[in-house]
Amino acid sequence: MFRLTPMRSGVFALTVAALAIWAGLGGFFAREMVAEIAILAILALSLDLAAGFGGMVSLAHGAIMGVAAYGYVLACQAGLPPWPAAVVGIAAAALTGGLIGAVSARTQGIFFIMATLAFGQMIWTATFRSDALGGDNGMGGIPRPPLPLADSGDPLVFATYALLLLVAAFLLAAALLRSPFGRAMEAVRDNPARAAAIGLPPARIRATGFMLSSAVAGIAGVLAAQHIQFVSPELMVWTASGEALVVLILGGIGTLTGPVIGAAIFVVLKHWAAGWTDHWHLVIGALLIAVVLAGGRGIYGLIDRGRDA
Amino acid sequence: MAAFWLLQLLNTLQYAALLFLISAGLSVSFGLMGFANLAHGALYMLGAYLGISVAAKAGFWVALIASPLIVGLTGAALHLGLLRRIAGKGPMPQVLVSFGLVFIAVELVRIVWGDVPLTLAAPEALSGTVRILGVPYPAYRVFVILTGAAVAILLWLIVHRTGIGAALRAAVENPDMARAIGIDTGRLFLGVFTLGAALAGLGGVVAVPIVSASTSMAMTALIPALIVTVIGGMGSVTGAMLGAVIVAVIEVFGAALWPDASAVLIYLALAAALIWRPQGLLASGAKS
Repeated sequence: MFRLTPMRSGVFALTVAALAIWAGLGGFFAREMVAEIAILAILALSLDLAAGFGGMVSLAHGAIMGVAAYGYVLACQAGLPPWPAAVVGIAAAALTGGLIGAVSARTQGIFFIMATLAFGQMIWTATFRSDALGGDNGMGGIPRPPLPLADSGDPLVFATYALLLLVAAFLLAAALLRSPFGRAMEAVRDNPARAAAIGLPPARIRATGFMLSSAVAGIAGVLAAQHIQFVSPELMVWTASGEALVVLILGGIGTLTGPVIGAAIFVVLKHWAAGWTDHWHLVIGALLIAVVLAGGRGIYGLIDRGRDA
Repeated sequence: MAAFWLLQLLNTLQYAALLFLISAGLSVSFGLMGFANLAHGALYMLGAYLGISVAAKAGFWVALIASPLIVGLTGAALHLGLLRRIAGKGPMPQVLVSFGLVFIAVELVRIVWGDVPLTLAAPEALSGTVRILGVPYPAYRVFVILTGAAVAILLWLIVHRTGIGAALRAAVENPDMARAIGIDTGRLFLGVFTLGAALAGLGGVVAVPIVSASTSMAMTALIPALIVTVIGGMGSVTGAMLGAVIVAVIEVFGAALWPDASAVLIYLALAAALIWRPQGLLASGAKS
C-alpha cells in the first residue's frame, strides 16, 4: 500500500529544491536542463502510477505524451488561448489512454506490454504519415502560456514553472494513490481474483487507472510542447516510451520519488554521454540491464524502506 | 483486373513468408518459457546487416547460410549469458532486459554499419522475372515465398512428427509435468531460442533485397511479429503461419485498397483479436 512517508516527501522536496537552486545559480543551459528533467520526471511519475502501482507496464506512454503535445498545438492553432489549449491536450491524452487501457486492460503481464507497444507504434505511424500534422517535419510556432507577473519566455521562469508543475503532478499522484480508487488499483494489481471477489471490477479499475496515468503523462506532453515550442513524431517513437521506463526503473519503481531522481540522473547522464559520444543509447541500454540484474529496485528503491509492494 | 488480384495475392504470400520467419521463433520461445524477447526484431536487423557484409565478400548464397548461423549463435550466447538468468522472473525484467538489448543492438549497428540504409541486390540467378498465370513477378520474391513455405513445412514436421517435437509440445502444454517426466526443458529452450534467432536472421538476410536495411528494422519487424504472435496464439507453429497470413492479407490488401487507413489497420486487427480472443486463435498451452 502506498504511503507518502516523510522519507519520500523529504527526498522529493530536496530534489526539487536542488533543481531550483541549480536553475537559479546556473546559466541558460542549466535552466533548460531543469525544465527537461521536470518534463521527464512528470512522464516517469505517470508511468509509475500505471506500472508501479497498477501493475501495467506501458510502452505507449511516450506516444500518449505526444498526443497531448499535438493536442495542445492543434488547439492553439484553432485559436484557443494557451491555458484552455493545455486542458485540451491533457484531455486528448486521457482519452487516448482510456481507449488503449480499455482494450489492453483485458490482458495481463506481457500481453499488456505488447498491446501497449503496438498501440504506441500505431499512434506514431499515424502521426508520421499524416500531412495535416506536418508528418515527419512536425509543427512549430507553439506559444508558451502567459504567467502572472512573469515572462514564460525567460528560461529561469520557465524552469520554475516546470518545477511547480512537477510538484503539482507529484501531489496529484500521491492524492490519487491515497484515495479509495488508488487502494483499489493496488488491490487489483496484487490479486485480481480476490479484488473481483470483494466487488472490485479489475478490468474497469485497470482501464481507469491507465486513463488517469495518461492524463498525468498529458501534463508532461503539454509542458514539452511549451518547452521546445516544436512537436514532431520523435516525441512518440518507441525509444521515448523506453526511456521513460528506463528512468522509472533506474530511479525506483513504485515509490513516486524514485522516478523524479531517475529523471534527474538520466538527463544529466544523457547530456554528459552525448558530449563525448553519439551513441549514448548504448550507455542507457547497458545501464538498464545492469539495474535489472542488480535486483530492479532502482537507486531510490535501495534506500526506501517505505516500500512494501 | 485479375492480374491485380493475383499480384496482391503473391505479395501477400511473400510478406507472410517473411513474417512467419520472424514470428515462429518469437511465438515458440514465448509459448515454451513465457519469455517475451523484445530483442527479436534486433536479431532480424542483425541478420540483414550481416547478410549484406557477408554477401559483399562471399556472395548471396554464402550469406544466406552464414548470416542465420551467426545470428543463431548470437542468440544462444545471449541466452546463456544473460537471458537465462531472468527467465521465469516475470515479464517485467524480461521486457526491460530485452529492451536494453534493443538499445544496445541499434547503437552497435550504427557504429559498425553507419546510419545510411544499406541495400543488397538479389543474386544473379534470381534477378529476372517469372510468369505466374501470365503475370510477370520478380523471381526473387518467388524464392522468398518458397523459402518461407519450406521452413514452415520443415518446422511443422519437426514439431508434429519427431520425438523432439513431441517433447516441445509437452513442454509448452505443461512445463512442470514435462520436467517431471524427464524432459530437459532448459536445454529444449536453449535449442528453440537458438533456432528462433537463426530464423529471424534468415528472415533478415532474405528481406534485404526487398526492403533496405536500417536500424529502424528492429522495431518495424518486432511489432508485426508481436501482432502475428498475439493473433495466431503463443507457442504454436501453425498459429504463427495463420497469424502471418492474416497480418499479411490485412497489410497488403489494406495498402492496395485503402491506403489512407493502411497504417492503422493491423493495429485495429490486434485490438479486435485482443477483445475477441485474448489467448490467440490457435493458442497452445495453459498460459492465456
